Amino acid sequence: MAYPDSEEVSTDIPSQPIIETHELTRDYKKTRAVDALDLSIQSGELFGLVGPDGAGKTTTLRLLAGLLNITSGSAQVAGYDLASQAEAIKPKIGYMAQEFSLYNELTVVENLGFFADLYDVPRSELSQRMDRLLAFAGLTEFQNRRADKLSGGMQKKLALASTLIHEPDILLLDEPTTGVDPVSRREFWNILTDLHLDGTTILVSTPYMDEADRCSLVGLLYAGKLVTCAEPKQIRAQVEGDLLEIKTDDWQAAHSLIESLPGVLEVQTYGESLHVLVDSADERMPEIQIAIEENGLTCRHARQAPARMEEAFISLIHRMEV
Amino acid sequence: MSIRHVLAITRKEIYHILRDKMTLILVLFTPLFLLLLMAYALTVDLKDIPIAVLDYDRSQTSRAFVHQITAGQDLELYAQVDSMNEVEGLLMRGEVKAVLIIDPAFERDLYALRGLPLQIIIDGTEPESGGFAVDHIGWRAEEYINQVLTDQMQSLGIQIDNLQPIDLRVRAWYNPSLKPRNDLIPGLISMVLGFPALSVALTLAHEREHGTLEQLMATPVTRTELLLGKMIPYIIVGLINVILIPVAAILWFQIPFNGSFPLFFGLSAIFLFAVISMGVLVGVFMPTQASALALSFLVIFFPGFFLTGIFFPIASMPEMIRMESLFLPGTHYAIITRGVFLTGIGIDILWPYTVMLFVLGVSFTAVAALFFRKKLA
Repeated sequence: MAYPDSEEVSTDIPSQPIIETHELTRDYKKTRAVDALDLSIQSGELFGLVGPDGAGKTTTLRLLAGLLNITSGSAQVAGYDLASQAEAIKPKIGYMAQEFSLYNELTVVENLGFFADLYDVPRSELSQRMDRLLAFAGLTEFQNRRADKLSGGMQKKLALASTLIHEPDILLLDEPTTGVDPVSRREFWNILTDLHLDGTTILVSTPYMDEADRCSLVGLLYAGKLVTCAEPKQIRAQVEGDLLEIKTDDWQAAHSLIESLPGVLEVQTYGESLHVLVDSADERMPEIQIAIEENGLTCRHARQAPARMEEAFISLIHRMEV
Repeated sequence: MSIRHVLAITRKEIYHILRDKMTLILVLFTPLFLLLLMAYALTVDLKDIPIAVLDYDRSQTSRAFVHQITAGQDLELYAQVDSMNEVEGLLMRGEVKAVLIIDPAFERDLYALRGLPLQIIIDGTEPESGGFAVDHIGWRAEEYINQVLTDQMQSLGIQIDNLQPIDLRVRAWYNPSLKPRNDLIPGLISMVLGFPALSVALTLAHEREHGTLEQLMATPVTRTELLLGKMIPYIIVGLINVILIPVAAILWFQIPFNGSFPLFFGLSAIFLFAVISMGVLVGVFMPTQASALALSFLVIFFPGFFLTGIFFPIASMPEMIRMESLFLPGTHYAIITRGVFLTGIGIDILWPYTVMLFVLGVSFTAVAALFFRKKLA
């Protein structure tokens, strides 16, 4: 599916894309995990790959890291052909698996040193790079601690540091912040933003929409296909209709009531408030308020809210499923 | 091949062994523990085997004969019975392993020099003890009849000291006392020293299960570098046992060591290479530690136990099995351990087995590297 937005991006930067796939397809025994994926990522992009569970995010990243055989189609990563030159790609990329496991018995420094050896980081540069990465990841004071004695957030940062030790051109990160507390999550993204500003190309999959909002480009994957690919603000703009935020004294009753009204596309619950997606705010807002009052409920609060990534994402998915 | 990559893997693996106390204890002491366990369990000297006697003759001679049979420490007269029914009851309950039945014509036939009419019934479900009883009753009966014949001849005025129809003198070279342990323990050593093969199979499967293998596959490390890096630490651990185990065998079990220790050490290193590469092969194919463990037992340890000639001579195995035993490193190494410990032979005789071990090691490693893909599925 070709979107005008993605073309717009590629005309802005005329250089050859650093990651480019053409009808990339990967089948497992019974399912097609990635289905004729056309992806084009320019050098220096911070590309967020979003999509529901099972959409093919992990498979896409594994394919690009050269860890899976391609069923059909082709892909170029860092100028090399993925099918025939997978080993040549490996020194160019830093890949962090979804369940990245460090070597628990090794200390922070030993983990970094291990990957430095495997990536042939020049010994003369090693200690300087390590110091920089440790400071970068905020791990300097924990450098002699064993990996299994680190907190979850610190483990993720160590994992990221390990994938950065050889200064890769491309970072492939598979849900790097899943299961991490919000503070560590924010710190992690600050690091990613710094790397992005330094010019590293980053392809990151994430289930969190606030994270998708921090990317320069977002691709929505659904059933192995790239459904949309655009800047976050353009994705938000793709939401059809307007978002209303409504709070009543009985959200459960209000939920089923509002859902049955004409012009209502979507009702989501946020605590005790409801996010209602309607075709037109001006027209539906009074109708909803009247319906609430008529049914003996009290409307405590009702306003129009700006659409967020989350709503955009859910409405896009719903559109696919209908 | 990059030495730096291999050493990185090796160093990481050594840290893993040294810092995980349970792993350290297991890899260092399991072979010793297995040796002690099996050496004691498998070299029990049979004695006091319970037998019953059904004496139909009931003569003075037959009573003297029974007394003679059970006078030693090998057989114990558990019961004197009167009928076959009682015999069956004793055997069924497992109270006796053999029953000696004495013919009513025992005394008459003996003095008429018509031989000794005897029957022995053994418990066929325990042929070990039954066979032991048969052998020992036979020897005692022979002694007895020789004694009777000698007495008879002397009473006829024939001068004779002792009647011995056959004078067979057996000398057991290399194990003069014919201690079963001397023969068994070098065989067991060849088996327990193969234990690191299990560790290496498990460590590969562990990385696969734990997700670290996925990370390694994303790095430029090559398959051969990875597999060699994994093998080296376990060869080192194995070599520590190559020192520890013979010392234990010599000091604790007083097993003779007639050969050269440096030779034994060198040949053991080649054996470790071969058997550990077999473990790598298992680890390459198995997705989980549980399956790696199961397959290790299936293809490394059980064949290592039964098919390498430690307990059962290879020559008496069917041809197919004999072929299979050639592919087991333990088969060749058992010959080497027995040869070095007991016979004291050198490389001039042992070289074909050494070459075979080396060929097996290279082949297993090559097949493992060939089938090990840096792909997830």
